[in-house]
Amino acid sequence: MKYQLRKVLLPVTIGMLIAGFWASSEFQEIAAGVAIFLFGMLMLEDGFRQFSGGILERILEQATRSMPRSMAFGLVTTTIVQSSSLISVITISFLSAGLISLVAGIGIVFGANIGTTTGAWLIAGFGLKVNISAYAMPLLVIGVVLVFQRSKYLRGTGYVLAGLGFLFLGIHHMKIGFETFKDTFDLNRYAMTGIAGLLVYTLVGALATVIMQSSHATLVLIITALAAGQISYENALALAIGANIGTTITAILGSLSANYLGKQLALSDVVFKVSTAAVALILIVPLRGFVDVLGGMIGIAEDDFALKVALFHTIFNVMGVAIMLPLLTRLIAFIETVIKEPQADLSRPKYLSEAVDEFPATIEAAMRKEVKHLYDNSVELIAHGLNLSRHEIFAATDVAATVRNSRKTFEFDIDERYETRVKTLYAAIVEFTTRTGEKNMPPDVLDRVYAMRDVAGQVVHAVKAVKHLRRNVTTYTTHNQGAVTEIYNALRTEIARILVEIYKLDLAEPEDRSNLWLDGEAAQVEEDARNSIRVVDALIRKGSLDADAATSFLNDSGYAYTAMRDLLTAARAYYIESDSAVAEVERILALDEDEVSEVVVENADATSENTHG
Amino acid sequence: MGLKKYAAKLDDYFTRLKRGKAGKIKPDHVEKVIAKLRAKAERLQLEIKEATKESKKARLERKVLIANEQIRRAQLLLKEIDSTAKPAAGVDTKTPDT
Repeated sequence: MKYQLRKVLLPVTIGMLIAGFWASSEFQEIAAGVAIFLFGMLMLEDGFRQFSGGILERILEQATRSMPRSMAFGLVTTTIVQSSSLISVITISFLSAGLISLVAGIGIVFGANIGTTTGAWLIAGFGLKVNISAYAMPLLVIGVVLVFQRSKYLRGTGYVLAGLGFLFLGIHHMKIGFETFKDTFDLNRYAMTGIAGLLVYTLVGALATVIMQSSHATLVLIITALAAGQISYENALALAIGANIGTTITAILGSLSANYLGKQLALSDVVFKVSTAAVALILIVPLRGFVDVLGGMIGIAEDDFALKVALFHTIFNVMGVAIMLPLLTRLIAFIETVIKEPQADLSRPKYLSEAVDEFPATIEAAMRKEVKHLYDNSVELIAHGLNLSRHEIFAATDVAATVRNSRKTFEFDIDERYETRVKTLYAAIVEFTTRTGEKNMPPDVLDRVYAMRDVAGQVVHAVKAVKHLRRNVTTYTTHNQGAVTEIYNALRTEIARILVEIYKLDLAEPEDRSNLWLDGEAAQVEEDARNSIRVVDALIRKGSLDADAATSFLNDSGYAYTAMRDLLTAARAYYIESDSAVAEVERILALDEDEVSEVVVENADATSENTHG
Repeated sequence: MGLKKYAAKLDDYFTRLKRGKAGKIKPDHVEKVIAKLRAKAERLQLEIKEATKESKKARLERKVLIANEQIRRAQLLLKEIDSTAKPAAGVDTKTPDT
């Protein structure tokens, strides 16, 4: 149904536009102005996107520590980039990646709603008062020259300048279109007064914004039409209110691919804009009076209705924020009731969604968190596969004793659990990495994303190795069978110790931890792997181990050491220092198995000399 | 204690640094790692004091040995970085005597 509607809508729209162009050259001028303006908006957004992957994200992370800071961030950035849509999409993306909280997101959206009103001031105060097309041409030329530069930031600046050029050119064409239009046709005769006028024009403003997906474009149309006397001031105010409602479509569309947090933020935007519009409609008369008083105070001429619309737009958005701020707790409670946090489904990716696809910082953060999610699921599977409780081993002061005492079988289907909790997440991680690889991402970000995918691969490999161990571990460790139970318990203990060491690394603050801590464990694994055959030989000679059990153990120990190596390699890569120079120091200082053995032997020699000397 | 592998890694680092493929290590970077290793060694010493089982003590002591060796190497690296940072004395990228 939706698809069929879309199939019909596009030819109908194009047909109507062509008919309009044929009927009126002024309409053609206005429509071209809107098209050029929207193209300028797209270029402006693309330009600012070039700055993402560093500056914008760093500011966003710093600027969202409190509600006033979040609001100030939303206000300032929207004023600079002149696109509340771009700021909304970034915010949804950051929220989905778990980089900012819902409260911070709402703060940004509130600020952005005030910031976006500066657009109307620029159009009314500058766009209509000067020959704006004179500025458009140099901006376009310089912008296009910069667009062809190799530097990402110069390219971004080029898009921004060219975008501004197109915005100015679009405004110019709309202005010309309306000015010539008024000579042949008077739209003002459709002016409506009273409540009906308010409601109809609010609806028209909302629809126009939904179609153009830009409240800026609607406001330019409103202001240029008003300046040309094609609409009444009263109807222009209603159109401005409608534009605010219509702009919620951007947040709604942006949240469709986001997780529940992104959807909650989009809902808060809808609630804010619809309630603000409702209050503005109810209080339209006093608000209009207030605009006249305040306009007079700041020097706006009595008949400068374009600037008055801009002032009205700012006033009612500020009023909306002022009303909503004291109700913030209730607003959040309402949103959380309507869009509930889904029950934790460990088999589904938590952080990887299309909403985080846009920006390098969100891609990297979401990827790290998802890999950690996969690791947590895997640790549970590894521990349960070995009939161990991860909580018990993490809390144990004597890991070997805890393992020895863990004799109860964990009843679960390891293959089914692997499929649902590990393989599905790994598939999502691989798919996300491929998607990211196809995007134009900075090479260092791509390298880190690929490194995280490899970490996930190693963790999955470790789980698969443990799956092979499960049957014999259950056979030999659930009741004491002498030597075979001891050697299987030793294997379980070694894996458990690796999990504990990685857990400790995870608990440590990033600035305190070093993956050099794992060197000892890695060397121990290699030493034990080498010794395992000697241990088995000795037990066979003593008659404590039969050949069947020995063969099983040698096969299983191979799987166990593979799992340990994979876990250690994964942890080293996951917890690598974010500062590349410090990571380089750690790489140089890392000790391998031979070096660890040398250290131990030299120390033993020195101790012996001291004792005998 | 032989430092062949350490020297090889250091040479590799300087080669990559010359090609612009490695981040330049400054004394601060090495000191940061030394501080982390010292903190780890101290925590391990505390754990050794609290440990009752000999096998656990032995395992922890082994970890302390590794951390101390890494600290020793970090101090060597610090000297190496300092010497390469002083052009007047000539850039000596050679690693310590192995």
